[in-house]
Amino acid sequence: MKRARSRLIGWLLLACVGVFGATAAHAHPHVWITSASELIYAPDGSMTAVRHAWTFDDMFSTYALQGIESKTKGVYTHEELAPLAQTNVESLKEFAFFTFAKADGKKGRFLEPVDYFLEYKDGFLVLHFTLPLKTPIKTQELSLEIFDPTFFVDFKLADKDPVRLVGAPEGCKFGFQRPNDGAAGAQAMGEDNFLSGGNSNYGAMFANKITVMCP
Amino acid sequence: MKPGQCKEGRRLGHALALGALAVAAVLTVDGVMHVVAAQTPFGGGRPVSDPHAGGLIGWLLARQSEFYREMSSTIRAAKSDGSAVRTLLAISFAYGIFHAAGPGHGKAVISSYLVANQETARRGIVLSFASALLQSLVAVLIVSIGAWLLNVTAKTMCGAERVIAIASYALIAAFGARLVWTKGGSFIGALQANRPMPGLALASASVSHDHVGHDHAGHGHGHDHDGHVHDEHCGHSHGPLPTELAGPGGWRRGIAAILAVGLRPCSGAILVLVFALAQGLFWAGIAATFVMGLGTAITVASIAILAVSARDVAGRISRVSDGGGALIVRGIEFGAAGLVLLFGLGLLSGYLFAEPLTCLQPIL
Repeated sequence: MKRARSRLIGWLLLACVGVFGATAAHAHPHVWITSASELIYAPDGSMTAVRHAWTFDDMFSTYALQGIESKTKGVYTHEELAPLAQTNVESLKEFAFFTFAKADGKKGRFLEPVDYFLEYKDGFLVLHFTLPLKTPIKTQELSLEIFDPTFFVDFKLADKDPVRLVGAPEGCKFGFQRPNDGAAGAQAMGEDNFLSGGNSNYGAMFANKITVMCP
Repeated sequence: MKPGQCKEGRRLGHALALGALAVAAVLTVDGVMHVVAAQTPFGGGRPVSDPHAGGLIGWLLARQSEFYREMSSTIRAAKSDGSAVRTLLAISFAYGIFHAAGPGHGKAVISSYLVANQETARRGIVLSFASALLQSLVAVLIVSIGAWLLNVTAKTMCGAERVIAIASYALIAAFGARLVWTKGGSFIGALQANRPMPGLALASASVSHDHVGHDHAGHGHGHDHDGHVHDEHCGHSHGPLPTELAGPGGWRRGIAAILAVGLRPCSGAILVLVFALAQGLFWAGIAATFVMGLGTAITVASIAILAVSARDVAGRISRVSDGGGALIVRGIEFGAAGLVLLFGLGLLSGYLFAEPLTCLQPIL
């Protein structure tokens, strides 16, 4: 009796986990981006723009280059890649460029990207673009997060110089926080998320957070 | 099932049937949530992804990412070292298994369909393998024609993928609508036949009936097609169950299910194929794609078997209980049918699941 009961309950639970879990777990990256960002400041000490240099993984780089003609085989100029860069920024627009600024509890809004181009370097595509802030932010503490809420794109801060302040007032300091090894973070935080069911921002667990403190 | 087990089952009947209903309810709510989420885009873009990422899922994701990332380096290595191809196939197989265990609508749709349509586990396995094979085939065809023969850009291939995806989602929705229509009829039939509901309260679980199922016989299920006798019923066989699979239309519907689920290729497979083509190892990419499909099929089939078994268990037990049994079975079927429809609509209306509608939409 007891065995039958536990077996039956086991079946139902398993089925539940199987189907429910299967529908629930959506996030899985297909694209990896290594991000390096410059925060641009105006002479008055306000931040005016973010300049990104995003390096795509080799599989995606190859895929994106499919069918793109170049004069010299294996070498792509900025001009040859211009249409692709255009497509990239247009598509990224819908996803708010995966860049989320926050100061004094308010979200910073970005305008359309400027100065964008693609560079092909050692088998990798690097997308450069500048996101001007709609209104420059002048504050003591500012945070900038780079992540895909849906985790289709896995962002990673570059190992070397992931953040640089350009023209920032003297005394400004920055710090950054990497997702504690993406996968490990997913495991640790996943349980809490599952239990609380509250946090609706799965990808945020993989966020790369940059914080700037100014005097 | 032996008579002894039958009695046990009866006691458990209500509790477990209710449990099964709860599962169905959770699934339905989950589906609804996805559809709702799909209609309220996140910051003008895709909706935020699902919050229910368990520890197991996190682990699966990590493995999957590892395998996927290893694929590109292995393909590179295979250029000079033939033995790397074996590694590539092993990685692809593992990736397929893990990939299917994680995201994707395929297994959810297949499982729901199987539950709704009273399909057998064997049919579930066939459906899983056939749709995975089709999925691999579509990916290989897209890249063969698009990249290899015509040398179009990734963006153009995305366009083709989009058309196929929309067709596939529309098929799922149409398919779900049909199931809802049919199962809705059965459900209403069961509701009417069951009007003086013999208390679904757990207390009634102790009531014992010796002639189990006799009161099912008279149920008028408007949509019962042909009698199908399930082997393991307690005591005697039941009245006709709507087992459409036995009829000639059953296989046609099976093919529709395969098409609906298998048409849309996996973005990952397309990336791998294009990458392999660029490395001059297209055949290795094709082999990897099919092995990936094999892995996917195994996982999907396992989940499908699980779903069918759970339905059978719930159905068997609830049938043993009072008259509410038929209602519960019809309810589960109806819920599952609704789920297929919701998946279809959700996929069509927005981007259910983090899979974007187009292949690599955030960037291309």
